[in-house]
Amino acid sequence: MKVTNIRKTFGGVTALDGVNMEIDKGKMTMLIGPNGSGKTTLINVVSGFYKPDEGQVLFEGRDITGKAPNEVSRQGLIRTFQVPAPFIKLSVMENLLLASEGNPGESFLRAPLRSRWIKKESEIYNRAGRVLELLNLRLPDQLAGELSGGQLKLLEVGRALMTNARMVALDEPASGLNPTLAHKIFEHLDEIKRDFALTLLIIEHRLDIALQYVDYVYAMANGSVISHGKGEEVMNDPKVIEGYLGGTCT
Amino acid sequence: MLDSTGLFVLNLLASLAPFLIVTVSLNLEYGYAGIPNFGKTLAVAGGAFVAGVIPGRFLAFLFGIGKNLSYIDDNKQIVSAINRQLVTDPVLSIGIIILTLIMAVLIGALLGLLIAYPVARLRTDYLGMTFLAFGQVILVIGNNFPPLVGGTLGVSVPDPFAFVSVYSIFDLLPGEMRNLFVITFMSIVALLVFLFARRLTRSPLGRVLRAIRDDENSALALGKDVQRNRIIIMIFSSAIAALAGALYAMYTANVFSTTYSRTTWTFWPWVMVILGGAANDLGIVSGTFIFVAVRQIISYYREFFEPILPFNIVWLDTLLLGLALLFILIYRPEGLIREKPIKTIKIESLSVEESKKASIKQTSGFREELKKIIETLLKLPKKKETEEI
Ligand SMILES: Nc1ncnc2c1ncn2[C@@H]1O[C@H](COP(=O)(O)OP(=O)(O)O)[C@@H](O)[C@H]1O
Ligand SMILES: [Mg+2]
Repeated sequence: MKVTNIRKTFGGVTALDGVNMEIDKGKMTMLIGPNGSGKTTLINVVSGFYKPDEGQVLFEGRDITGKAPNEVSRQGLIRTFQVPAPFIKLSVMENLLLASEGNPGESFLRAPLRSRWIKKESEIYNRAGRVLELLNLRLPDQLAGELSGGQLKLLEVGRALMTNARMVALDEPASGLNPTLAHKIFEHLDEIKRDFALTLLIIEHRLDIALQYVDYVYAMANGSVISHGKGEEVMNDPKVIEGYLGGTCT
Repeated sequence: MLDSTGLFVLNLLASLAPFLIVTVSLNLEYGYAGIPNFGKTLAVAGGAFVAGVIPGRFLAFLFGIGKNLSYIDDNKQIVSAINRQLVTDPVLSIGIIILTLIMAVLIGALLGLLIAYPVARLRTDYLGMTFLAFGQVILVIGNNFPPLVGGTLGVSVPDPFAFVSVYSIFDLLPGEMRNLFVITFMSIVALLVFLFARRLTRSPLGRVLRAIRDDENSALALGKDVQRNRIIIMIFSSAIAALAGALYAMYTANVFSTTYSRTTWTFWPWVMVILGGAANDLGIVSGTFIFVAVRQIISYYREFFEPILPFNIVWLDTLLLGLALLFILIYRPEGLIREKPIKTIKIESLSVEESKKASIKQTSGFREELKKIIETLLKLPKKKETEEI
């Protein structure tokens, strides 16, 4: 994925100020930066939830700038939300089944004809079972609204895996979890990245936990990329240190 | 002649059937898709108006009746003349029933499309008010524009069910025969609508609708076309609500726009759905049944209740149902019967029937994978034992 010169303002606030980024296929790229530095906004722009004022988003060579969120998702780029957004009255299994693409039973004309979709539905069911195993989230019948915070984070990841996504942008998938669980999530993500050949873009605050898993790091502050490179390089960049400690940086 | 029990049941069904169609329709919109349609009466009245406008004029033209009369001003005279001819022609009668219902469905779908327009553009709270206004507009038009359905005086609807009264079974009186037939017909239509909606919602589509209701952004992020699904549901549910209006108008053989008030065809269906349990088929059937039955019992035992009540009996049903609604909203907001996850595939049957069906054109590997999944799913530990993550 390639992001060129993205600008996004809200009234007087400049949330993204000319962001450039290149995310390599099949790699886990981490996006860091203090609160309010524009990380979530960037994901919102990339996934079609916000239209940028300027700039271009290329995904697999195709221009997806300004496309509707459901179109972006169908092109193979899925995002998760910083605050988990499950379908609360659907079971875990239903949350996963729903996330799958191209189910003929989702069309109004074919939905009443069970024979037209049962085959695909069985395949999806099968896949959902594997995703649950992989994530060690063995609660297919639990209502998503009754899950714990950590389980919800896993469900978000699980839903992304049910799609035919080739890239997943995860907004703080391990925030609010204790270090053991956060490590577990990253281990899962690392495994998934390899098994599904996924490109991952992950927003994370806790560098100490995440650094060992990621291939590349982008650091943002005040709506701009201030540094990027391999984990250690970025960590030792004085601008990043200042950005994290001082909170302001130009 | 019908005995009192027979009459009671028949009257119960006469309200139950049209209201069930409307609650099924509202449940699709509100229960499944989360669209707060406070203008339910729009589509119901639309269907009834179709019955008031089209068949009478069509038959008058066909029979050459009332060429020098005004259809609205001389309505009683024209419709009686139509009925005298229609009663002798079962084939034409049935044709008229079918034609009226099809027209009602089409007009209902059109009205659904009309109100789907704001659905794509407004937030929930504004949407509710917009629907309310739409529902009001059609009644204002019905009341103040006599050429449509006779304004405040209403219009008679030719009775395409009258031909039944010439036959008699079980010593029923002609009027009873006719009512028995209409009510049975309405009940069958209601049952079919219910079953079809059930099929529709117990499918991957039903899941998508519930997901859109629970979290629109998540649904978008997962590639679901939220607006398109909402529009389709508005069109479909309005079409079936119009069916209820047309059936009810044909049953009562007249259309008064005041019959299709906001209270009766918007507020009551909402109470029924909330009482019974939104997004649960059994729930809305129970809600509709309880509501209709309570009202009918009170009206049947009027003489019994009247002396012991410290207030006018006309308030009793409103009071009871209002109280019931209050209790439900406070103590059981999901309704009497809660929404449950929908299993499109039964795990047990998956191993026997579905996997066979599903694997007809599949390689053997698929069946084995399925089996493995079933085994693991069946072996899953219970909620508490699972590792907390
Ligand atoms: N929808 C919005 N409306 C107005 N301002 C917004 C909106 N979304 C984000 N912002 C602003 O953009 C800036 C970046 O926010 P965000 O992208 O959420 O930061 P991060 O995710 O890095 O913590 C903040 O100043 C925030 O207040
Ligand atoms: Mg954020």
